Amino acid sequence: MMFRRIGSDVIGSFFWIGVGIFFAIEGIRLNVGTFKNPGPGFLPLIMAMLLILFSLSIFVMGLTKSRTPLSNIFWKRQFIAVASVFLYIFLLEFVDFLLSTFVLMCILFGTLLKERNKWIKVPLYSAVVAVATWLIFYVAIRVPFPFPRFISIWS
Amino acid sequence: MGVFLGTLIGVLPGIGPSGTISILLPLTFTFSPVSSIIFLAGIYYGAMYGGSTTSILVNIPGEAASVVTCLDGYQMARKGRAGPALGISAFGSFIAGTFSVVGLMFLSLPLSKFALLFGPPEYFSLIIMGITFVTYLAQKSMAKALVTAAFGFLLSFVGIDMITGKPRYTYGIPILSDGVGILPLVMGLFGVAEVFKNLDSPETRSLFKTKLRGLLPNRQDWKDSGGPIARGTLLGFLIGVIPGGSSPLASFASYAVEKRCSKRPENFGHGAIEGVAGPESANNSAFGGGLVTLFSLGIPPTVVSALLFAALMIQGIQPGPFLISEHPDIFWGLVASMYLGNVLLLFINIPLIGVWVQILRVPSKLLHPLILLFCIVGAYSIRNTLFDVGMMMLFGVLGYLMDKFDYEPAPLVLAFVLGPILEQGLRQSLRLSGGSFLIFFNRPLSAILLGIAGLLIISYFFFKKQREVLDVKDETA
Repeated sequence: MMFRRIGSDVIGSFFWIGVGIFFAIEGIRLNVGTFKNPGPGFLPLIMAMLLILFSLSIFVMGLTKSRTPLSNIFWKRQFIAVASVFLYIFLLEFVDFLLSTFVLMCILFGTLLKERNKWIKVPLYSAVVAVATWLIFYVAIRVPFPFPRFISIWS
Repeated sequence: MGVFLGTLIGVLPGIGPSGTISILLPLTFTFSPVSSIIFLAGIYYGAMYGGSTTSILVNIPGEAASVVTCLDGYQMARKGRAGPALGISAFGSFIAGTFSVVGLMFLSLPLSKFALLFGPPEYFSLIIMGITFVTYLAQKSMAKALVTAAFGFLLSFVGIDMITGKPRYTYGIPILSDGVGILPLVMGLFGVAEVFKNLDSPETRSLFKTKLRGLLPNRQDWKDSGGPIARGTLLGFLIGVIPGGSSPLASFASYAVEKRCSKRPENFGHGAIEGVAGPESANNSAFGGGLVTLFSLGIPPTVVSALLFAALMIQGIQPGPFLISEHPDIFWGLVASMYLGNVLLLFINIPLIGVWVQILRVPSKLLHPLILLFCIVGAYSIRNTLFDVGMMMLFGVLGYLMDKFDYEPAPLVLAFVLGPILEQGLRQSLRLSGGSFLIFFNRPLSAILLGIAGLLIISYFFFKKQREVLDVKDETA
């Protein structure tokens, strides 16, 4: 609600100004050098300042002109997707690719499918996808997936 | 294989050619450099062909460049003229694709010889002009495009500084010494973000049933389409050469030109074949135009050519003016494959239309988890590290939020690719001049490039002011 009152341009510009300040401070720490002998922080500092400048112009436009309403953000599904991928990254350290992928697919299909008999479809689809991707990427293309510490089906 | 995969991707909405190329790029590590570039380029122009099929038959653009084709192509299908619409789209794409290959052959060589005159100040000014073009042509706001471009440049500075060898923004994370990977960045911004966007909206696909009769356009169709194909081809090629002149922009521009040139503009939007022939030709020839800049100057003008740039770098080949003379096999191999690919597409696209439509019936709720999984495996397999998967997810979230806040990702990616060249150009120029910025204005070529950038910025504000005046007049009227 607050987002809509302020306007998306103002909120967006805050974020970019923050990013610009971060890169500018780090740029100064890196050694800016001189015009004659520019250091590693020279261009990062200039770019960060430009980023802040452009963001300020959006901020001003956001305050003075008609406020662009923020289009709806549906957090729930996206949050589940992001959280499940980070869980997957964590799982891959302990459990092998087949099992981890099966778990990931169960979460994703479980969130998206709305059918009445989804509790049969979800594990079935997830198993098919896990085996198919394992065959394609591990067996055929030989992508070296991380070796799990605990459970491994194929080794 | 590339054009077949490309057509498949073009047909499927949900992931565009940029996302697909980045996902499939790790597969090419085992290929030779020539095969790798041919494969990736094939995906792109295959997607251009495939996108039109679903735009015409089911009013669903498979990728951004086919949005315009929906307007008249779908109306033609509703009137029982799906066959000629698909036919003219395939023939127009073939003619434009072939012309753009010829253009690529004849323009790249002289331009690459000309580019040998470029020193660090010219490269710096060329990138400034290129980024100004990209932001000027941004479909949303120029200020927002400048913000994302500045952020793209900043991201490109992460890693070891090439002149002093000092790590920048790495915070002791060894993998960041190599910098942020372009593939996790593009996969996140174009693949994962696209999946997130699609999670927002419930599925609304309705397949319109039509019978395909007579794919060959009749004499009148050819008469109506000849001019639009010729104009679309030329316009698309020229737009492709300009940095930021992407295929979607070429197809929109061609549609606008055809509507203006037409004796019956009222027919547009109601099934005018010119509205299919022009844009479909334009989006195909834009790709060839984009390759001219990449192969002669080593400057990628679009996200897709930035990915080809990355693919060449991964294979240990530096794109630039020396590419054609040092690696003629890559350039001529691609040219030959594009001739062959365009012929192949003409023959595989039309007989397989039924298959493409069936593929559309796969529900998106099954497709999106699969796309996400392919992105994960793709990101992992580049450097065999889960760090890149995490980076990709972060860029995915950023890309999704950028879309919600009306920021475009293309300037970010292009600035990211061009960042190291810009920095090298600036620092070397300042060392050469003893710290004087006048070096960029004393050298004629560099001054001209910066002058063009300046003119673009002035014209942006001039036209913006004019638009505002017109808006006020409209409101008072």
